[in-house]
Amino acid sequence: MNLSFRLKHNIKLQLFLASAGILLLYKLFFFTEGSFFSRFFNEAIVFFTLLFMTSYANDVFSEKKITPLSLVMNLGILSAVIFIAVLFSDTLLPLLFGKITDTLKNPDLFFTFISFLYVLFFGAVVSYSFLILKELYFLKRKKTGSIYFNTMILFFLLASAATILNLFPDLSYIRNTFFIISIILIIVNSIKISWIAFITKKEKLSLLPLSVFICVLFFVNLFGSSEDNSHYQMLTGFSSALAQFYSIIMLYGGIYFAVLFFTTLFHIPTAEAFDRKAQEVSSLQYFSRLITRVLDFNELTETVTDIALKVTTADAAWIAWKYDDLLKPIAQKNIGFVDAELINNYLFKRKNFTEPSSSYTESLLKFDKKEQLNEQYTSVIVEPIKTHNEVRGYLVLTKKDDFIFDEEDKSVIDTFSDYASVAIENAHLLEESIEKERLEKELDVAREIQRKILPAKDPVYEKLSVSSVFIPAFEVGGDYYDFFEIDDNNEPSKFGFVIADVSGKGISAAFIMAEIKGIFESLSKTIERPKEILIKANQILKRSLDRRNFVSAAYGIIDFKREVVSIARAGHCPLLLVRDGKIDNIKPAGIGLGLNYGNRFNLSLEEIEVNLKENDMIVLYTDGITEAKNIDMEDFGETKFEQILLENSTKTPDEISNEVIKEISQFSKHNTQHDDITLVIFKWKSQTEKDLKNLKTGEKEWQNSTPQLKTRVM
Amino acid sequence: MAEFNTSVKDQGDVSIVYLNGYLDAHTASVLENNFSELISKDKYKIVVNFKDLQYISSAGLGVFMAFIEKIRENNGDIKLTSMSDKVYNIFDLLGFPLLYEIYRSEEEAVKKFEEIKKLEK
Repeated sequence: MNLSFRLKHNIKLQLFLASAGILLLYKLFFFTEGSFFSRFFNEAIVFFTLLFMTSYANDVFSEKKITPLSLVMNLGILSAVIFIAVLFSDTLLPLLFGKITDTLKNPDLFFTFISFLYVLFFGAVVSYSFLILKELYFLKRKKTGSIYFNTMILFFLLASAATILNLFPDLSYIRNTFFIISIILIIVNSIKISWIAFITKKEKLSLLPLSVFICVLFFVNLFGSSEDNSHYQMLTGFSSALAQFYSIIMLYGGIYFAVLFFTTLFHIPTAEAFDRKAQEVSSLQYFSRLITRVLDFNELTETVTDIALKVTTADAAWIAWKYDDLLKPIAQKNIGFVDAELINNYLFKRKNFTEPSSSYTESLLKFDKKEQLNEQYTSVIVEPIKTHNEVRGYLVLTKKDDFIFDEEDKSVIDTFSDYASVAIENAHLLEESIEKERLEKELDVAREIQRKILPAKDPVYEKLSVSSVFIPAFEVGGDYYDFFEIDDNNEPSKFGFVIADVSGKGISAAFIMAEIKGIFESLSKTIERPKEILIKANQILKRSLDRRNFVSAAYGIIDFKREVVSIARAGHCPLLLVRDGKIDNIKPAGIGLGLNYGNRFNLSLEEIEVNLKENDMIVLYTDGITEAKNIDMEDFGETKFEQILLENSTKTPDEISNEVIKEISQFSKHNTQHDDITLVIFKWKSQTEKDLKNLKTGEKEWQNSTPQLKTRVM
Repeated sequence: MAEFNTSVKDQGDVSIVYLNGYLDAHTASVLENNFSELISKDKYKIVVNFKDLQYISSAGLGVFMAFIEKIRENNGDIKLTSMSDKVYNIFDLLGFPLLYEIYRSEEEAVKKFEEIKKLEK
């Protein structure tokens, strides 16, 4: 409430108190004064007192939220209060003051005071009633002043003021004229009760007896006050204009509620249709708001069927949603799953069923299994739910007991299913983008696991130069390689290596990688034969590997003393031996890990030993290299790979792997990398400069060594 | 994305599955559904024709592993035929010839099933 308003409000209160004070003083001194002028003055003070009181009360009114029914109830209470007050005063006043008409001629202080309060009370009640009637009149109408209503108020005042002319009986026709015009205006203003259309059927039904009751009360109040009853005498004696105003307002109330009764009565037949429309509108509004908020698919379908039942006269609803070309009932409302499925199968599993793309109604009379239904549904309406012009499912509504769906139902459901389609599409799009994000997160995790599993750097040995390259695919491909050193008296005596490719991609492949790393890490410490290690690894994997997953692997051990490499292979690409400008495949027989857990696997494994010669190169790789694709989906291929190895065989392993990677990226630059790429190159240097330069183990100086110098056997 | 599709033909009590295109992690479910459906219909004698298969990845190979046990338990088998050299090479590297019967032609595979049937009688 702002300051100026409060100020005005306070002024109104003060004005009211002031005029009431003046009225009381005037009455104390000039109660019985009967001249025209004093009468006029009297009525004027009464008028202003009531005016200030009314306008003060009016401010309070406008702050409250009002509903038509609460106004009606208020009026009912007011009329009842008046009725009871009149009843009491008629019995009480004569007891206190005897015959009022006599007392009025010679009032004492007590009577003056009581009559002042009495008038103030009735003035307040009548004014308040008038205010409520005014609110009712303006309800659901534009608030701009109505000429009819303002005219009516004017004539109310004129009719009331004209009571001053009672002194001159010849002029009573003026008073009567004003009064009759007032009645006509009351009738005119009461005829159009527009708010009645906006209340629900239930409210209308309760309004019927209420309006009769209140109408009767008003008329009783009107006719119960006549010349020879104390209440009327009291009012007239104090202010004849107020008595007249009281009568007019009671009349207004009576007429208004009589009209209200009939208006309500005429609205009852259409109440249901109106209610339904209102329900539709508010449900659709609610639903369209919901679209932006409910994004969970299940919650949404539940809401759709829920609201579908509210906006139509259907008895049950569900959604037949397409899962792999099968339409299954979800989000059933008011119907058991069994019933829904029976009808669903009847509707959508017929031989000649073709996907309808617009709504249709159908009778269930020919439904062969209708005896199996728990409830006798008689007709259905089927409404497609489409996203991107593709039918994703159907909204099915059904009715019981001989009622069928009419055109109105159909049009409502048409509109509704459009809303539902949009909402469901939204939910799907969001789900997809969440899923995509989730997958990307998952792949990040998988790549991180892989990065941590693979060796951080290449080992360095006197006799062996190692270079490894790993390029992950976007979807982790499951490549794994590792090196294990086997020490003897703190000197590296043997060197184990493994390369593997886990089937599948992504996080599941990464987990299997992590597992096989653990397996090989521990086996490498206890077993020194590659074949044994692979057999053992296969046995361990039996416990954890899914049937459709397997691992291709190759395991090798280089014996620094014997200068021999022994290799076993379980389904992996062959290893390449580059020696004297030629390439040999080292391809010992062997089934992939996880493809067979019995003897067949163990028997299939071979182990090959190769004596290492100066400058021998052993190349390990995964199919990511040979199957790298160019834009025409052609493979990079073994031939090209081997050619590059041969051409660069005199270079260092690092240089060679750089060369290979360069060629591959050149080859597949217009295509994405589908699989992980792993390349490991070993180069054997048995002759080092160690004796000459006395270099420490582990430094890469062997590269400059001269072949003539033979190293000390480690 | 590379395309993959299959078609299934019945020849006697042998079902022949034709593969076409690229069988990898993304398309493996198509073949999986084929096998599941055949098994649900108690059809355990399956010949897979690789004539039109361009490429198979490890995930594609996994599909065969997923069903072979169930099929063999029911006296059936998956026999593989008509592979290109490239596809055969992939199978060979992994040791599949030790685990599956691989034939040059579809007829040979079907005949093999029929011979076994005669023996059973």
